[in-house]
Amino acid sequence: MSEELVMPRLSDTMEEGTIGRWLVHEGDAFAAGDVLAEIETDKATMEFQAYDAGTVLRILVGDGESAALGAPIAIVGAEGETADEAASAGNGATTPPPQEEEAAEPEPETEPEPKAAPARRPSKSSSKAKAASGNGSRATAALRVSPIARRMADEAGIDLSTMAGRGSGPEGRVVKADVERLISSGELTPPAAPEAPPAGDSAAAEGEIRELTPMLKAVATRMAQAKQTVPHFYVESEIDMTRAMQLRAELNGGLADSGDKISVNDLIVRASALALIQHPQSHRSYLDGKHVYHAHANIGIAVALDDGLTVPVLNEADSKPLREISRETRDLAGRARAGKLKQREIEGATFSVSNLGMFDVANFAAIINPPESAIIAVGATIDRPVVVDGEIVVRKIMRATLSCDHRACSGADGAKLLQTIKQLLQSPSLLLV
Amino acid sequence: MADLTYREALRRALDDELARDPEVFLMGEEIGRFEGSYKVTAGLWEKYGPQRVRETPISEEGFVGAGIGAAMMGLRPVVEIMTINFILVAMDQVINHAAKIRYMFGGAVGVPMVIRTPGGAGAQLTAQHSQSLEAWFAGCPGMKVVAPASVADAYGMMKTAIRDDDPVLFVENLVMYNVTGTMPDDPDFTVPLGRAAVVREGRDLTLVAHSYTVQRALRVADTMSRDGIEIEVVDLRSLRPLDAETVAESVRKTSRALIAEEGWSTYGVGAELAARIHRLCFDDLDAPVERVGGAEVPMPYSKPLELAALPLESKIEAAARGLLAESGIA
Repeated sequence: MSEELVMPRLSDTMEEGTIGRWLVHEGDAFAAGDVLAEIETDKATMEFQAYDAGTVLRILVGDGESAALGAPIAIVGAEGETADEAASAGNGATTPPPQEEEAAEPEPETEPEPKAAPARRPSKSSSKAKAASGNGSRATAALRVSPIARRMADEAGIDLSTMAGRGSGPEGRVVKADVERLISSGELTPPAAPEAPPAGDSAAAEGEIRELTPMLKAVATRMAQAKQTVPHFYVESEIDMTRAMQLRAELNGGLADSGDKISVNDLIVRASALALIQHPQSHRSYLDGKHVYHAHANIGIAVALDDGLTVPVLNEADSKPLREISRETRDLAGRARAGKLKQREIEGATFSVSNLGMFDVANFAAIINPPESAIIAVGATIDRPVVVDGEIVVRKIMRATLSCDHRACSGADGAKLLQTIKQLLQSPSLLLV
Repeated sequence: MADLTYREALRRALDDELARDPEVFLMGEEIGRFEGSYKVTAGLWEKYGPQRVRETPISEEGFVGAGIGAAMMGLRPVVEIMTINFILVAMDQVINHAAKIRYMFGGAVGVPMVIRTPGGAGAQLTAQHSQSLEAWFAGCPGMKVVAPASVADAYGMMKTAIRDDDPVLFVENLVMYNVTGTMPDDPDFTVPLGRAAVVREGRDLTLVAHSYTVQRALRVADTMSRDGIEIEVVDLRSLRPLDAETVAESVRKTSRALIAEEGWSTYGVGAELAARIHRLCFDDLDAPVERVGGAEVPMPYSKPLELAALPLESKIEAAARGLLAESGIA
């Protein structure tokens, strides 16, 4: 019995996926656990594994093409079977369509959570999915929606495809109450009315228009949401990095043979982690009217990509020595640039470090990545004249700006955190203990 | 405002129309001296005499036919069939003649006749005397079929039915006769045919019923409101013409519809209404339209079995809760 493979949910926030490339071709047999394709989500490129053995009958969504969550991407079945047979079997001329099988759609890696937010309606890919599933083949995603729930979702611009099997009604039918909850929970707000294009915008109209990659879409959505809903405030400081740079040179001299190399960023990560543990009031998230305190400092490290960025997470940085921080960071950043991060490696940060020092940036302010409540933005370390003990001397100065969520911490909390980070970096031997 | 029984309200309507219009007369078995099997016509024989309150032999086909003839000639007969079960022997007169004559005579002649008859079960009258057959007649073009569920409607709709120029099957209910309700003081009070009424407002579920089942529906609504569930009860009042729009308006508000009737669900009032609701409210529905009817068996004599066959409050409530559960509520 052939069946459709659908675009799986590989991250909590993905709305659609792009087939990076298929590792199997039509006609290929595969075993359970074989990697069938690499799928690019909003956050990472992930492997799509087969749950059961089978043969690829037809690939519906090719390399580089996108499909909405739950949309069919391939038809698989037994060897010798054809996709057309799959289609006719799906029409149930002789046998009723087995609903249990439909419900057992492949959902690798991520178990669907009942409360998972459904995606907003994707524009093009959903019609593509419709075209694919309407092509005589049976619908795989057992999405059942009551008529009024469907109408309300349409009006609110909510795509319910990720709610398949998760509604409160019989067999997971999505009902009015589910849609009302989704709307009132604010997980989804109706899209704003499309703005009229500014007058005289013909130049822009002539410019090249490209679809965003899933990752860029996610960045756009999350950053807009963060900047619009999180009340940011900023504290800024100049940090004398002279001694830190001396320590770094000394350490790297000692580590030269080992291949390890401590970066300024590693020192900042370590200092931030230690400071966060000292200041629990600056190390908590505001969630649904409550404060969530974090036991460990999981530091997100912003990594720039050719087009976009990703933020791999260094877990429990407060309990890791500099050398380990350095090694892990290099590994994460390398795989981030290669698009090979796993979902769990980009989740769970409690604080982030964004460093644009390599671009000779003097100073900047970063946008918080919720549910984290703070992010530190650091510029370049520059030789500058400063006054020390009444004398003008040259010091290596790095400017840092801490962005804080005012729902999680006060200005004083933020200031104390930044002060501690500064003290640690200015007395860098503390980073070694 | 005065409190009357359903029986008294009907009697008053007959009395008022007999007094108002000399063309109105009553006809039926034992409705005169004996005052009718269910005493609806009590006192009228004495008041209006045997010409206008006519006793008939036990021959439904004959006296329904006589009523049709009288109506065609300009009188306004109100024919009593002792219970709706006995109308079956007069089916040809009702369906082939009363309902067709205006059409067959090119509109030149109508049949301004009321056939009033009680239906319903619950008194251990068993299979042949416990039926609710009104849906059969409501499916027939040319007929009007009404089934009031309150004292005021019984009065107001009887008057309207007598004044109507087409045949009206006026379905009363055996269990309703002793139900007491309030009558408006206005002596000219009438209720139009073909209009349903929202008799209790609610937001969670529309419960549609007619005749005595409306009373059951209201009790179910009372019970469930203690759990914070607000049921809107719609009394159809007329089955033909059927006021589907009032029902639809309610369903658009509640997103859910349950239809209860004492007759059998199969091809019943609920079947027709469910089809109309699906058409009128498809995009408003949160769950499939549900029906509760009498058990699809000949009504048993045994009391426990009779109770098991009736669409009692417990069954209506269970169906309502089932629908709400399907909608993720309660």
